[in-house]
Amino acid sequence: MTGKKVNVHQVTRVEGHGNIILNAQNGNIKELRWEVTESPRLFEAMLRGRSYQDAAFIASRICGICSIAHTTASIQATEAAFGIQPSEQTLLLRKLLYNAEMLESHVLHVLFLAAPDFLEVDSVFPLVETHRDVVLMALRLKKLAYNLAELLAGRKTHPISCIVGGFAKLPDLGELKAIRNRIEGALADFEAIVGLAKTFNIPDFARETEYICLKHPEEYAFILGDICSSDAGITPVSEYLSVTNEFCVPHSTAKYTKNKRDSYMVGALARFNNNYEQLLPRAKQTAEELGLKAPCHNPFMITVAQLVECFHVAEHSLSLIAQIVARGLEEEDNPVKVRAGRGVGAVEAPRGVLFHDYTYDKRGILTEANCIIPTNQNHNNIQKDFEALVPQILDKPQDEIRHTLEMVVRAYDPCISCSAHSLKVNFK
Amino acid sequence: MKPKVAFFDFTSCEGCQLDVLNVEAELLDLLAAVDIVNFREVKTEREENYDIAFIEGSISRESEIPRLQKIRNQAKVVVALGACACIGGVNCLKNSLLMAEALRIVYQDDARYYDTMPARPIDAVVPVDYYVRGCPISTEEFLKVTKSLLLGKKPEIPNYPVCVECKMAGNVCVFERGMFCLGPVIRAGCNAICITSGRYCWGCRGLVDDPNVDSEKDILKKYGLTVDQVTERFKIFNAYQEVAK
Amino acid sequence: MEQKSVLVVDDEPIVRESLQDWLEDAGYQVAVAESGEEALKIIEKQDFSVMVLDIRLPGKSGMTVLKEVKAQRPWLKSIIITAYPSAETTDEAKKLGAIDYLIKPVIPDDLERLIRETIESVGREPTVTAKVEIRPKPPVVEVVEVKKAFVITTESLKSLVESLAEEMEVVGVKSRHGKYVYDRIASFDELCLDYDVTLMPPTKYLLPAKETLLRFKVGDGSKVEPVIEQLPRAIIGIHPYDIKAIELLDEVFMTTNPDPNYIARRQNTIIIGVDCLNPSPKSFAPCMGTSLTETGFDLLLTDISAAYMVTVGSEKGASLLERYAEVREPTGDEIAKQKAARDEALTKYKLSLDVPKERLPKLLEESYDDPYWESRSETCLSCGSCVMVCPTCFCFDVKDEVSLNLKEGERYRQWDGCMLGDFAKVATGENFRHDKASRLRHRIYRKGKYILERYGKVGCVGCGRCAIACLADIASPLEAFNAIAESAKIKETARRIIREVRLETELYVPRLAELVNVEELTPREKVFEFKFKDREELGHKPGQFVEVSVMGIGEAPISISSSPTRDGTFQLAIRKVGNVTNALHSMEKGAIVGIRGPFGNGFPLSALEGKDVLLIAGGIGLFPLRSLVQYVVDRRSSFGRVILLFGARSPAERLFLGELAAWSQSPEIEFHETVDKGDENWKGNVGVITTLIPKVDFDPRKTMAVVVGPPIMYRFVIGELKKKGLPDEQIIMSLERRMKCGVGKCGHCQINSVYVCQEGPVFTLAQLRNLREAV
Repeated sequence: MTGKKVNVHQVTRVEGHGNIILNAQNGNIKELRWEVTESPRLFEAMLRGRSYQDAAFIASRICGICSIAHTTASIQATEAAFGIQPSEQTLLLRKLLYNAEMLESHVLHVLFLAAPDFLEVDSVFPLVETHRDVVLMALRLKKLAYNLAELLAGRKTHPISCIVGGFAKLPDLGELKAIRNRIEGALADFEAIVGLAKTFNIPDFARETEYICLKHPEEYAFILGDICSSDAGITPVSEYLSVTNEFCVPHSTAKYTKNKRDSYMVGALARFNNNYEQLLPRAKQTAEELGLKAPCHNPFMITVAQLVECFHVAEHSLSLIAQIVARGLEEEDNPVKVRAGRGVGAVEAPRGVLFHDYTYDKRGILTEANCIIPTNQNHNNIQKDFEALVPQILDKPQDEIRHTLEMVVRAYDPCISCSAHSLKVNFK
Repeated sequence: MKPKVAFFDFTSCEGCQLDVLNVEAELLDLLAAVDIVNFREVKTEREENYDIAFIEGSISRESEIPRLQKIRNQAKVVVALGACACIGGVNCLKNSLLMAEALRIVYQDDARYYDTMPARPIDAVVPVDYYVRGCPISTEEFLKVTKSLLLGKKPEIPNYPVCVECKMAGNVCVFERGMFCLGPVIRAGCNAICITSGRYCWGCRGLVDDPNVDSEKDILKKYGLTVDQVTERFKIFNAYQEVAK
Repeated sequence: MEQKSVLVVDDEPIVRESLQDWLEDAGYQVAVAESGEEALKIIEKQDFSVMVLDIRLPGKSGMTVLKEVKAQRPWLKSIIITAYPSAETTDEAKKLGAIDYLIKPVIPDDLERLIRETIESVGREPTVTAKVEIRPKPPVVEVVEVKKAFVITTESLKSLVESLAEEMEVVGVKSRHGKYVYDRIASFDELCLDYDVTLMPPTKYLLPAKETLLRFKVGDGSKVEPVIEQLPRAIIGIHPYDIKAIELLDEVFMTTNPDPNYIARRQNTIIIGVDCLNPSPKSFAPCMGTSLTETGFDLLLTDISAAYMVTVGSEKGASLLERYAEVREPTGDEIAKQKAARDEALTKYKLSLDVPKERLPKLLEESYDDPYWESRSETCLSCGSCVMVCPTCFCFDVKDEVSLNLKEGERYRQWDGCMLGDFAKVATGENFRHDKASRLRHRIYRKGKYILERYGKVGCVGCGRCAIACLADIASPLEAFNAIAESAKIKETARRIIREVRLETELYVPRLAELVNVEELTPREKVFEFKFKDREELGHKPGQFVEVSVMGIGEAPISISSSPTRDGTFQLAIRKVGNVTNALHSMEKGAIVGIRGPFGNGFPLSALEGKDVLLIAGGIGLFPLRSLVQYVVDRRSSFGRVILLFGARSPAERLFLGELAAWSQSPEIEFHETVDKGDENWKGNVGVITTLIPKVDFDPRKTMAVVVGPPIMYRFVIGELKKKGLPDEQIIMSLERRMKCGVGKCGHCQINSVYVCQEGPVFTLAQLRNLREAV
């Protein structure tokens, strides 16, 4: 066996900047690294000194794809710090808004970022010629998610109407009712994607790891719940630090995490593994159709788990809209009573559990902030997957090795630019 | 011959590039009108031969500068995409903290591993031909600029404040609802979307050419706000301008 | 030429005499001819606004007369009358430039209206007097007594509104966030008829923030079509001051250069007004005479507690009541209640105007240099709020937008305002109102003087919206008026209804013309020759301009560089400066552009004829002046001495080299040329153009000077001409401003009270002495 070298500078079809380095000689692996090179953006330092009115608006800018997740986590952290309990109406609207992002993010990943690998094309653009229907469908689904978010929050990327305590402007009930048809149409589109997914040649690889996500007694958790670990059970969200245990590595501007094992996974597959029972019927059906069973240890199946979640999200949204329409919408006067305090907000971003931890002074100004990003929590897992996988494929051609490693990274649907910062809080 | 178009990103959240994909149905028309030869987030192959470069993100590390210069040398037209590229954006908030202090807070003792410098818009490093402003960009404006480039026409971007569009949208002025707003000195082109959605203007599109910032500050004080409060909100997107003054 | 002059050509004496009588009664100056030959003789000596021509004449046929008249006076508009209309003759007549045709026996009313509309659509020459005459308004109004008042119960009003809602869109005043807005109402109960003031005025329904004017296709099968919305709509709750504002907009948009988009909306709108009984503290409507109105509405409601008094203001209103409501005659008590309610409302106003409002124009005229403008505007944010919320503001901008395939698109207009920084900026970057003080002054002058003088309607209705909206608290015209005045109060009354106006959809639609020749003059200047696709001639006067459209890019004003005496085509000499001119410069023969116009008043030919003319062109000032030079050359015998001075910056920047050579060699023209800086091959004069003037001897008593050039040149040239004793009335100039619509609507080309596209671009120095912004 000769030397195999892989040096991918800035992996494509992922959000953010990361490199893959492999240097093997005669079967010996000299170097194998997943390198995160994203410029540190120092958001925690930026949040310091900000008013609670602007905190979520800034935190949203951590990520362009999961801005709703950051906004929601940020607002929930502030609400926890001030002791504010959002109304039922607010929770319904928030969950619906959240679903819009989940949908958009998963569609983007499955069809735009991951599918090209399985269809052996360079990107979604050539698919315009060969699979025009698929592209139109993807655009249609993205548009649906976008319009739903617009309806609820004014805009999908960096939402506007979300405020501490609720929404600055309520959606039009008529338009909510009208969008139901399109969500039902989406379910039909997902079936078509399932058909396509069945043709995907998913690599067979398994490495068991710890799976961490939120868990809620009443439903498949996205914005509410406690931390659930496949190894260690339930931990309250306020004690998240005992689970995440961040540390720095020299070759990464993002921090890494670990809990009971060397690394752990968050994201769609973690949620699927831990909360399978709570998926709505069509989602479960799809999982079965695609051969996804809980627990699954193959990271390449994250994409499949996302597709399963798409069904869940669509069904769940229809139910939410029905509830909102039945209750009607009422202008709520939510004066915010500011006080000193600390609160943690946790949500399941499309890529995994996300924490925002805020400390306020009595004027409602942030004195400390800490954010732990899902992809941070996956970086270590990616590294460990590399270490387990490479020996298995070292005899393949160099190009194939490179491609497979890229696919591992892409499978996690990483959101690297979000992950390039985190803060170890120093309690004095 | 369709013009060759490339998308690049530096320090950013990548929301602006993704919003390009959000042009939805018009994406296919866009693909028919131009050749996208470089778009790291969406495709693997890349060509180094392109006419128009859309660049998102601000410059916040030394290592980003040569990459930016290479793009400027190659492209005939450089368009700054989004607030980070146009005016520096939220990335510049860290500039006001001492650099070392910021790193220390974030990375504690491991700070020695990371290099960073004050963030800046791309026109602080290379000349920029056109701007698509906002955080995120408005897909309508992105298409307008693209169509203008295809027509060989200078894009007609407003040079008047957000107030004009806010009134056109029939909004109740934010000041009359107990909040305050940067709209009177911020460039329009967003259809006053934040005010229409129930909030106020944070200034993500940057100042108009000739803003009466002193008057805005006076007005805000008249409504009971301190200079600090005002400056703090202004800095969220416009920290780079603030320092430059 | 007398503005309202008509030549009637008909071989039947009864037709000639009756038309002459009728038209002279209507105020026109009328000449008659009984044959084509006689007509041509008369035209040789005298110019007319309009010719009324019988197509069937003995001797020279009507068609021949039309052709020959076109050669003599290409801008003369003709109306054909005939007892035997046929498609071919009327087509041919139109191709020869006839405006329209009428079938005998001619209905005098129709003819008079046609003549009136034709005259209005043509630019005026400057009379060589000291003041610019804003065109006098023809009467649109007829005084009619239609009003009658009834009592209507709330239930009956409710059922009226609901019946209307079944037929059309109904908008009304409702509350939002504690303020009031106009919006669609879902039910009668949403209406808040006791409101103080709305954020935005109801005029937004007649002139929306953004509206499409045209749709176009470019490339093969170029096409341009007007887009006119005719959605029927009822607006409920309009206060009297807003009704007065609508009356102003009617005057602006329905009389001169009738605007089809506005007219269609207006004719489809039902106005149900409401007396304002709870005025806003910032309102000063009574000061402006707008707190009450007797005209301008279809129905007007007054709240008399238990029910409403409803006043009928039009036939439309009367028929609404008939069809949908139960009303009864009011009792004496109820009439008294109405008066009492109105009287009480008047006491609630807190603000007052310190001069009679009739004195405002004179007062403002005298306050041009008052330091108030500077100090007041210091805190202005140029945010545009005041103009956006104002019911009497109507300036707009026009832009093109295309689809991604670049093959089709639309031209739309959107609100603009003179208080915005770039309002008076042109493509070269020059901004004719670049400081806030001049912008504020202009706005206040519009509200207190210019609008009243031009349209005969009050320019500010005292609604108080701008005072409410202005964050810097500087917008109220009342405060401005008072700041420069003393006190009194007066009310105004007027009754009017609007006459039915014909909907002509072509005002903004460009005619397609083909580029038949392009010649490069210098690296950034070219001369383009165009011909209309439908072969009609432009029919312009020297000194006029056209609006040139490159669909998808935009529209720009360009002076016409060729004389109308050179038939078939017209030439535009263009410098490459902005989007449209750049696009033109990249065009080749065969390309299609859009042309609107000709616009503007043109050079005063009748004032020049018979005199010595001194023509002075600086640089690209030759572009518009050339049309006059060619005309003078073609009609040489009509003029005395012809002296032509041309100055270019350098030999490389000389224009129209062939013609310069011809002129310099012609014995009929005294031609002198200079360049600011010579080069090694240049043998001629070197020095700025003013250096040529002392060398030329002319008699100031019978010389007319026409000067066109860059702004900086004017001051020095005029200095030299004054030194030679030339009176102000005999110095004529052409000015540049941002002409956007060309028809006196969008507001961008204003110099103080005049619209350059209407009363200009040609002015005498005497007129400019009174236009302070012209310097």
